[in-house]
Amino acid sequence: MAYAIEIDHLAFAWQGGQLTLDIPHWQVETGESVLLRGPSGSGKSTLLSLLAGVNLAQQGNVSLLDQSLSNLSGRKRDRFRADHIGYIFQQFNLLPYLSALDNVLLATQFSPKRRQRVAESGQSAEQLAIQYLQRLGLSASQQQQAAANLSVGQQQRVAAARALLGAPELLIADEPTSALDSDRRDDFIKLLLELSEQNNTTVLFVTHDASLGQYFNRHVELSDINRAAGGSPHA
Amino acid sequence: MLKLAIKSLANRKTSALLTVIAIAVSVALLLAVERVKEQVQANFANTVSGTDLIVGPRSGDVQLLLASVFHIGALNNSMSWQSYERLSQNRQVEWSVPISLGDSVSGMPVVATTAGYFQHFKYANQQPLKLQHGEWFNHSEQAVLGADAAEKLAFNVGDQLIIAHGTGGISFSQHSGHPIDVVGVLKRTGTPVDQSVYVDLETLEDIHSGTPDANADDKSHHSHDEHADHHHPTNAISAALIGLKSRQMALFMQRDINTADGEPLTALMPGQTLQQLWKTLRVFQQALNGISAIVVIIGLLGMLTILLASLRERSREMAVLRAVGAGPGTLFTLLVTEAVLLTIIATASGLALLYILQISLAGVIQQQTGLLFALQWPTAAEWWRMLFVVVAGFLMSLVPAWRAYRQSLADGLTVKV
Ligand SMILES: Nc1ncnc2c1ncn2[C@@H]1O[C@H](COP(=O)(O)OP(=O)(O)OP(=O)(O)O)[C@@H](O)[C@H]1O
Ligand SMILES: [Mg+2]
Repeated sequence: MAYAIEIDHLAFAWQGGQLTLDIPHWQVETGESVLLRGPSGSGKSTLLSLLAGVNLAQQGNVSLLDQSLSNLSGRKRDRFRADHIGYIFQQFNLLPYLSALDNVLLATQFSPKRRQRVAESGQSAEQLAIQYLQRLGLSASQQQQAAANLSVGQQQRVAAARALLGAPELLIADEPTSALDSDRRDDFIKLLLELSEQNNTTVLFVTHDASLGQYFNRHVELSDINRAAGGSPHA
Repeated sequence: MLKLAIKSLANRKTSALLTVIAIAVSVALLLAVERVKEQVQANFANTVSGTDLIVGPRSGDVQLLLASVFHIGALNNSMSWQSYERLSQNRQVEWSVPISLGDSVSGMPVVATTAGYFQHFKYANQQPLKLQHGEWFNHSEQAVLGADAAEKLAFNVGDQLIIAHGTGGISFSQHSGHPIDVVGVLKRTGTPVDQSVYVDLETLEDIHSGTPDANADDKSHHSHDEHADHHHPTNAISAALIGLKSRQMALFMQRDINTADGEPLTALMPGQTLQQLWKTLRVFQQALNGISAIVVIIGLLGMLTILLASLRERSREMAVLRAVGAGPGTLFTLLVTEAVLLTIIATASGLALLYILQISLAGVIQQQTGLLFALQWPTAAEWWRMLFVVVAGFLMSLVPAWRAYRQSLADGLTVKV
């Protein structure tokens, strides 16, 4: 399992529009932590949605952990994503009516693979979730709060804990620090990388903020790998 | 899964509550139609027992039964006293009781009969009539009141009442000058007996043979017209209740009487005639059922609308669940669970509402109609109806569930706030 992510001749355009992504070749090695940078509207989130199998490329191939996504049925892609990818969405995507803790536990609720890995750690999912949330700075009472009542920064951390629970092989984070002040942001990234390292998780971190590059093994500009002229004209 | 469904519902309390109320009310209606039918039938069936035949002037069976026992409607003809006597002397007849109807006391029907009535008339499970106060009448100028009649007229033993001609609430012609003593009040039976005023046949004869009313005007003539053949009770009676030595003979007797030469008479077996009545009312009953079923469907359609509308705002929620690995099947189950949960809660509330209505209205219903609505567990028919609602709710939930199933993951995850 040499590569966590491998992209070949990928082409993607949003409905009827011009190409947003045209990537001849790109790969991320297992265990690497990569920062992917690009201006707003350049197609970062689009690329991540292709990696997560939320959208499918019109051409080319995306393989994660040596598994080609285009060969999987919709249902199997759901399963694969739940088992192997921790995804921190740009919009967090928490369930507002569940508590912070229950939101984190969703990660294992539908993925037997993650439950299994949690079990191997010798702790219960709940213990582990509480531990993650604590390390991310949410107090016990905050953990019981409905997600809707948390601040944006707290929501971001809940989303991170959810992505990490059950030690997925790959963590994809889409600008999770946009709502944090720079000190908090740096702490958050360090913690995220530390937890990932413990779990042996490959990290792909997307941002438009170049100053974060120092924390990662590798810093990639989207424009370097993407030949598509698309992207935001006001970038 | 259930926990998730409950929490998600709790998050949308208001619309969930409205849905539940709408369905609950419709369920209560659906159940009420069945319960009213059942209780009315039980009440009617309870009204006569132990009477094998009712004989009266030639008329429809149902008309004769309703008029003679339930005091609903009137008989256009009467039956001659001679016919009655001949009948009562028949070898098969064990007992016979004549009754004469058509008068009232402030709207309460007067039943003129003999003392044999109290001896032979039975209701429910062969229950005889019992006195609450006083005694049976033993000569004319005396009356015994049913429980409701006593209550409504506010009469008790020792009071005097005046009988009015005709059955209307408003007395057009009072048989004044013929005050009658109340000598007894019956125990409550839950049947039309409670509404009635019982007097001796001879009482009516005395009254009617008295001088005509001086103040009889047009209206009273009209009222007389309705009872055109109102003969003197001892010359004619309204009907006779008959007990036979052997029940098996009822059918033969009935045929004999119905086909006999001489005065045209109608004989009926109460149980059979009730069945006939229910049969004729079935269309009406089914129409009510149909209407209440439609009301339930409308309630469920309301739920469907709300579920479908909520799907839009919940596309994010659905997508999040899919993103954490819930398959489309899981979402499908989630939505079906939610709808079925709503329907079950609503159905249970509907049932509760029915009982609340029944308990709070039982008194009024009894006063107005004399029907006694017994509290009881839901019957099989009621359980079936509730099952129908839950199954219908389940079937309806398949629509939004299918929509959620089809809604792509990307749709939800790219919703931008
Ligand atoms: N759901 C969509 N349908 C159609 N076009 C889309 C959709 N999402 C994004 N796009 C287009 O694709 C391009 C890239 O968008 P994308 O969200 O990938 O940018 P991004 O790099 O993540 O930007 P940001 O840093 O602001 O998040 C934009 O021009 C956008 O208009
Ligand atoms: Mg983006």
